[in-house]
Amino acid sequence: MNPTSDTWAEVFAYMPQFLSGLRITVEVSVIAFICSLFLGIVGAAARRSKHLAARLAATVYVEAFRNTPLLLQVFIAYFGLPAIGLPISAFQAGTGALAVNAGAYLTEIIRGGIEAVPQGQYDATHVLALSRLDAFTHVVLPQAVRNVYPPIINQFIQILLGSSLLSAIALPELTGVSETVNSITLRTMQVFAVALVLYLVVSNAISLLASLVGRYAFRPPLETRADSGSFRRWTQAVTARIPSRGKLAEAGEGGGDS
Amino acid sequence: MNWSSLLASHGLLLSGLVKTIYLSVLAIIASTVLGAFVGFLRAARVPGLSLILRLYVEFFRGSPLLVQLLFIYFGAAYIGLSGITTFIGALVGLTLYEGAIASEIFRAGVEAVPRAQREAAKVLGLGRWTTSVHVVLPQALKVILPGLIGQEISLVKDTSLAAVIGFPELVNQSQAVISNINQPMLVLLAAGVLYFIICYPMSIGARILEKRRAS
Repeated sequence: MNPTSDTWAEVFAYMPQFLSGLRITVEVSVIAFICSLFLGIVGAAARRSKHLAARLAATVYVEAFRNTPLLLQVFIAYFGLPAIGLPISAFQAGTGALAVNAGAYLTEIIRGGIEAVPQGQYDATHVLALSRLDAFTHVVLPQAVRNVYPPIINQFIQILLGSSLLSAIALPELTGVSETVNSITLRTMQVFAVALVLYLVVSNAISLLASLVGRYAFRPPLETRADSGSFRRWTQAVTARIPSRGKLAEAGEGGGDS
Repeated sequence: MNWSSLLASHGLLLSGLVKTIYLSVLAIIASTVLGAFVGFLRAARVPGLSLILRLYVEFFRGSPLLVQLLFIYFGAAYIGLSGITTFIGALVGLTLYEGAIASEIFRAGVEAVPRAQREAAKVLGLGRWTTSVHVVLPQALKVILPGLIGQEISLVKDTSLAAVIGFPELVNQSQAVISNINQPMLVLLAAGVLYFIICYPMSIGARILEKRRAS
């Protein structure tokens, strides 16, 4: 019987493979996230459209993808599409299924974010005689972006964690690589513990980074993960060192507007 | 598409559906109990316990359910635990993961009740227990229920991951049917319709509760 440290060293020897798997995980997630953001914006526009057909199509899209499992959608893309004459690689099928699935959730997130902007804000743009475009880009959009920023970041993390399902269609991302390393070393606990820790590091890094950006890019600063006192104190300490956007603008333009 | 071949193997799909429902119901009960327990304890800010509970929640929310299932099911065999069937592995994994998420819903619900409600109860001379059960809980439940149903929809869909460790639920059985009749699109869409029939009414229920809360 090997001492415990040896079994860990045996698994750590495969770190380059784990990291190359992690790279594919991140690549797939970023591509899927960008595509799903696009789908979400188009979907939200369609759900708010005055054309019944557009509203209906967007509703069917959202309900169909939110009420069936992601794994099934991945299988339909990878096994179903080639069977009806659409050859597709594991990477394309996996990224596509993740994007279309997350797009359905983002449609609802973005629609909700726009609809959460109070009616009074729209009324004010009428009083100020702003054009529809100006009203949307300068009044509604900044508030909607603030509303949807935290759930969109959360959706990105869901995509990252969901990309683990692509191991089921033999894509060598982090989970797929872990299964391979497991079948070579048979050190099951150690192998999947390494995978779990790598996922935890990446998902927490994204959420930390997003909180910092949220505090810095929005006025007033956006409080996310507000439940964690130590974390809040830490981000406050970090952001206190960065000049706020308002101050930067004042310095650049020689005087602020308020 | 060959419908008759699908009809011929509907027995496999239906037995998968039954197992999906069975696993879902047990996991819903177990994860709701665990989530309520953890969520209420976290809202009560029990010193010492808070950190452990928070680590539990962050661990299970920050890593993929699939890897957790692989870790639990194959890891149990690795350390020599016997008797961990695919069903028990899936049930334990789902309960721990969904329990962590449900605990956040319960905690948020309790914390959404204004402090003044507790203070008023204190002024009226109500005890801690009476305050929690008769003042805070009914108000918290209005916030908790819509989110919790949304969570149960995710849970039903997440039972599909049990297919990867070999539990013969709906997705797993669909793969078996595909290897029999070689009609992947037809079989997978049929499985999708079955999931939709379970999840869509739950979605509508969550929406109704959400609207009732908002008004």
